[in-house]
Amino acid sequence: MMRTSRLIAAAGAAVLSAALSTAALADITILAWPGGPAEAALRKVVDKYNETSDSKAELLYFSRDNFFDKMLADAAAGSKEFDVMLTATYNVGKYAPFMVPINDLITDDVMKVFPQSAIDSQAYEGKVYGIPTDLSLHFLYYRTDLIDELLSNDDWKAKYGEISEKYMGTKMEPKKPDDWTWDDFMASALFFTQSINPDSPVRYGTVLQMKNLLFNIMIWQGSAASYGGNWMDADGNITVDSDAYRKALDIFKKITEWEATPGDSNSYEYAEANGAFGTGQVAFFIQWSAAYAEFVNADDYPAIAGKFDITHEPAGSEGPKTHFHALGLGINKASDKQDEAKAFLAFLASQDAMSLYAKEGGQPPVVEDIIKAVAGDRPDMLKMGEHTGKYGIVMNGSTAAPALGVYSNMAENFTAYWNGALDQDTAIANVVAYMKEAYGK
Amino acid sequence: MAHREAGVRETERANARVFLIGLCVFLALMLGFPTLANLWYSFSNVSIYDLAGTAFVGFANYVQAVGNPNMWAALGFSLKFAVICTVLEVGLGLAMVFILHPILTKRPWLTGILMLPMMVSPALMGVMYRLILNEFTGIVPAYLSMMGLPINLLGRNWIYETVIAIEVLQWTPFAFLIMLTARQSVAGELEEAAAVDGATGAKFGRLIALPVILPSIIIVAFIRFIDSFRVFDHIFVLTGGGPGNETTSISIYIYKLFFTQSKIGEAVAVSVMLLIASLALLYAALRLAVRRAPA
Repeated sequence: MMRTSRLIAAAGAAVLSAALSTAALADITILAWPGGPAEAALRKVVDKYNETSDSKAELLYFSRDNFFDKMLADAAAGSKEFDVMLTATYNVGKYAPFMVPINDLITDDVMKVFPQSAIDSQAYEGKVYGIPTDLSLHFLYYRTDLIDELLSNDDWKAKYGEISEKYMGTKMEPKKPDDWTWDDFMASALFFTQSINPDSPVRYGTVLQMKNLLFNIMIWQGSAASYGGNWMDADGNITVDSDAYRKALDIFKKITEWEATPGDSNSYEYAEANGAFGTGQVAFFIQWSAAYAEFVNADDYPAIAGKFDITHEPAGSEGPKTHFHALGLGINKASDKQDEAKAFLAFLASQDAMSLYAKEGGQPPVVEDIIKAVAGDRPDMLKMGEHTGKYGIVMNGSTAAPALGVYSNMAENFTAYWNGALDQDTAIANVVAYMKEAYGK
Repeated sequence: MAHREAGVRETERANARVFLIGLCVFLALMLGFPTLANLWYSFSNVSIYDLAGTAFVGFANYVQAVGNPNMWAALGFSLKFAVICTVLEVGLGLAMVFILHPILTKRPWLTGILMLPMMVSPALMGVMYRLILNEFTGIVPAYLSMMGLPINLLGRNWIYETVIAIEVLQWTPFAFLIMLTARQSVAGELEEAAAVDGATGAKFGRLIALPVILPSIIIVAFIRFIDSFRVFDHIFVLTGGGPGNETTSISIYIYKLFFTQSKIGEAVAVSVMLLIASLALLYAALRLAVRRAPA
């Protein structure tokens, strides 16, 4: 009897001990940005974490379509299905009420991994909500074989001048993409469009992404910024109704009217634009930095293998500019596993984890030393760091809670203008009215 | 004897009530609670950050919703879209019933193949057509181009027709299936008797088959109208409601109001108005179907 009791007690203790140890080392779920190099790289980092940690991390992915809306619904419902969640520069203010500040994680060691600007990209009202994982900005992707030919072939040069004079009223000469203004961008788009220049080896000069989608406005707004455009001035006045915005809007409008972009560009986003350039039928385009890691894969894109390069966006009167933001990972306020989530974020913010993440195709906004260390595998990372510093812009007011709504409203009205459904004055007036209401002006 | 029958009926009624409790509780939870919550939200100033902490604002959300021209544009798009799709789906489905009924009687397994389009989720349908209709990777533009018709079916000039065509291609099989079932309910003896009396071919279809199918036509038209009216998935995936708002249905409009503009009260107010309109339409369609049903 005594022996049986002891056995039961021992078994009970073992079960209790196992249960306690499980509770102490609970597994966590990470809701992260799906698809592309970011997902592939994070999977490697999580594998590494799981090798070394007693608490295991599992990745959860929604589809990319309206990712943030789905996450918002879950967060507002107090979901505990994920412990670590996504943050982004342009909506950190919107999600901050559903997240836990992690200022205590930003130690001196972490500051040796990330520059201050990267940490700031995850902050709202003085509190840090995420560890930055992916820097996103825009490059001009161009076909080196076509541009080299344009710069060296006299017949092509003459035709270029002829076409630019006919459509733009000025006889222009071709330039290297590094020196392009938006006029050069437009003239080159005309030249490489077969319906305008039947001798062009590609079907279209460029491909614009004009689906009614907020991310497409981020791609376009570098042009507005290059002419000095901003959402607001220093006093908080809405400044969208400006020459800068009108000029930038007209760049897309004219290219659309000239049919120098595919006729169904009004339904294009990231994937379609990549498809157009990747099939070798477009000479150049503005695209997210993430596309570089995809295009270098010759198996996926044989038509452009070894035949493309990247540079900064064309210049306006204020020089070249690019929108940039950072995605990151932070802690779900509703999670019961705050300590485990913090442990994972601390690992993620380490130099080893970020080096691995960069090497596997991620685009972490890390310090120059780390970038140089992985530059052999990731030459685009050098340009990302350089471009962010030199040309990066964050529109005033674009990290506040209403920012996503503003981007969506711009997408609605500006795509309508580009496609002839609204005139420019009405499109701008609609955006200004929305912004005044959203920001309480 | 009569006593015994009455007792049995009473027991059956009591059992029925017991069995209904589960369904009633389920409906109260799944439909009743959200409906009441939505009604409350539609009269409230509500924020995504505090769904429980609402303030009563009377009809302000309804006034704002009705005064927004974008709502009327979205409503107009949905109405037009629903009417065109319903007419096409019911018309094509009916034609298919009369053409294919003799074949399907001998080879019923063919019906399964015809049903395939509606087994694909509408969102996936949108993704599929993003690929199929893409100028660079799509098979349809490639064939159109080979035929000397370089039409951009996703371009602004054709996008309206394209989203209608996708809806019709996906849901005509549904209309066909319902009406085919009704057509198959016409007994073989009746067909033989009608043939003896000289009613064959079109005359049989017009005088015998069509009156039998008519209630099903009304019901299927109603279902397809409601379904097309609330269209969301494939349009959202294909166009995002654009260019501008040109393909924004009322469902996409509500979604954007709620999620991207955070105007929750107004979004719910629009959906409540739509619910009331749908219930009125349902009542009218049921009345019509009952009146047209053969005695």
